[in-house]
Amino acid sequence: MNENNDDILIQLKGLTKRFGNFYAVSNIDLEIKRGEIVGFLGPNGAGKTTTMKMMAYLLRPTAGEIWIRNNGDLTRLSSKNRDYLLDNIGFMIEIPTFYGDMTPRQILSYFANLKGYPRKKVKIRVEEVVRLFGLSEWIDTKIKKFSKGMKQKIGIGSAIIHDPEIIVLDEPQTGLDPKARKDVRDLILKLKQMEKTIFLSSHLLYEISEVADRIAIIHKSKLIAYDTLDNLELKSRKSLINFELIDYSKHNLTDLIERLNKIILPLNGLGSGSVNKIRFNENSKMFEVPFNGVPENQLKIHKALFENNFNVLEFSVPKANLLESLFIDLTDESYKEMLSPEREIIPN
Amino acid sequence: MSTELKQEQLEIEKIIKEKQTIGINRYITQITDTINFEIKRTWKTFIIMLFVYLGIFLLSLLLAELREAAGVELPEESIDYLGDYFGFFGILIIISTATFGGGIIAEDFQKQTGNLLFPKISKSRLLIGRIISRYALNVILIAFYYLMVGIITFYKYQELPDTYIISMGWALFYTFMVFTIVIFMSSINKSKSAAIIISILLFLIAFNIIDSILMFTRTGIEPIFLPTYYENIIQASLDMPDPRFETVSFGRPGGNNPEFKRWLTPSIPGAIIGMSLISFLTLTAAYLLYKTRQSKNE
Ligand SMILES: Nc1ncnc2c1ncn2[C@@H]1O[C@H](COP(=O)(O)OP(=O)(O)O)[C@@H](O)[C@H]1O
Ligand SMILES: [Mg+2]
Repeated sequence: MNENNDDILIQLKGLTKRFGNFYAVSNIDLEIKRGEIVGFLGPNGAGKTTTMKMMAYLLRPTAGEIWIRNNGDLTRLSSKNRDYLLDNIGFMIEIPTFYGDMTPRQILSYFANLKGYPRKKVKIRVEEVVRLFGLSEWIDTKIKKFSKGMKQKIGIGSAIIHDPEIIVLDEPQTGLDPKARKDVRDLILKLKQMEKTIFLSSHLLYEISEVADRIAIIHKSKLIAYDTLDNLELKSRKSLINFELIDYSKHNLTDLIERLNKIILPLNGLGSGSVNKIRFNENSKMFEVPFNGVPENQLKIHKALFENNFNVLEFSVPKANLLESLFIDLTDESYKEMLSPEREIIPN
Repeated sequence: MSTELKQEQLEIEKIIKEKQTIGINRYITQITDTINFEIKRTWKTFIIMLFVYLGIFLLSLLLAELREAAGVELPEESIDYLGDYFGFFGILIIISTATFGGGIIAEDFQKQTGNLLFPKISKSRLLIGRIISRYALNVILIAFYYLMVGIITFYKYQELPDTYIISMGWALFYTFMVFTIVIFMSSINKSKSAAIIISILLFLIAFNIIDSILMFTRTGIEPIFLPTYYENIIQASLDMPDPRFETVSFGRPGGNNPEFKRWLTPSIPGAIIGMSLISFLTLTAAYLLYKTRQSKNE
């Protein structure tokens, strides 16, 4: 096994779930690595919850496999090993609801015991988790008196109570007010600091983009993209110019890109911003320039390259791929919502 | 160096051993943890029910005392006195069992509490833990009632019939069977309250109507398939009637009224087999429905 593989904590292979003739999840391949936060983005009904339920062994996959690392080995999840294999994961799937007459202490202790947390340490652990959420004074209060945001926190608390390495959260911010959403976001970042690996879903891009290292986009049961936010945003620009320079290897690449940025970026019609920078694509050996898709800008960029004595071999505007068209063609209402640029103002 | 390696070896062996034992150990601890949690959770209901049982006992006592005060003599046998306390007992069992059991399956889907619970414990273990805890609380209620009835009978007669304990055994068995039917109702109903109400209506009305239909249609069939029929053995076992049926007639006194056969109680083997069979079937059906049930609230 090489080093790269050792970092994978969860691997989904061809994961599929069919309800009757309807595919809720089709053929999903996904790897989650140690210590990263992976956002699982898709509109309502895309198949996020169904995927997570399969990971929790609440639903049996119609096809495909789930591999989870525990005690060092990547092991295939099955009915025989699910008890100890899933000890390494904490789940919060769909809206967390509690028995209103019980207190966080009672419920979290019960959950910690169920998951085999060392008995003598349960009491301390429960208090520790509740403190992490800033709810210490509420530890013995009946949950029916809690606000939505507080319940959500206890929901996340119940996912991490047995101190798993991996945490799976299904729409942890949905339905919360901005203040509570910020709290949840901060909490997720705190968990990341504790070196937890987190897989969290949302139907809103901005919720995920605040925390995720990589984003997996699921659309109508299919995984259509899995990349860092920067790369996704880059790809989602209106258009991309690809060009090849004959003698680029003679130069220091970083310096070259710096120079290109200076010359070209003012002409791309997108304004400035880190995601609009020029990139060098290692696979195609091409430089990629995001631009606004207007022919006039394309021409200006072309001219500028010649005027600055760059030996351009190829210069093209490739057709939009699936992801681009998805981001561009916002006819689908649900995607309009998902990609809504309006970020509600979150108090800091 | 070699000791370090040995240490590592031991560590690995320990982990492997843990993996192997997690199955049976976890099975038991999860069930006991569930029992623990469920008792805390149903404690309030239990206390309320305790007062209901106490109330019914006190009312029965009041009736007995009023009768005595009005000059009606005490029955000659302690068995007959004891029997007077079981007039409402069947209803009591149904109410408390339905209250304890109505939410056993439906609640987690109705309130969506299953979202957090099911990734942590399998449905079968959860159900076993809940059945044990709630049945145990029900057992305490019934034992409490028998205790009070026993005390008052002993106070009046300085003795208790031998069949006192046997009757309690039947009451507990009958309660378990009622419980399985309530669990079944909880598996097919959307909400806890629907399961409770339908269970109570089923026992207090539906089954009794079927019983009457059987009698009036003169089929002569012993209603062994009717759960309510088995309630009779609780009281009858104090002093088993022979034969186990009677002939009754309805209409104007002295008129030429038709006669009907009414079954009083199942036989002992009949009750054991009948109640076991009903419990087994309903519980199996409930479990199978539970296993495939999912919360659909999207
Ligand atoms: N038990 C089920 N039976 C039939 N269809 C289901 C079931 N669960 C989910 N679905 C369907 O599968 C699709 C994906 O659902 P879900 O995974 O909940 O989406 P998301 O969490 O992304 O909103 C939806 O169209 C939903 O209606
Ligand atoms: Mg969902």
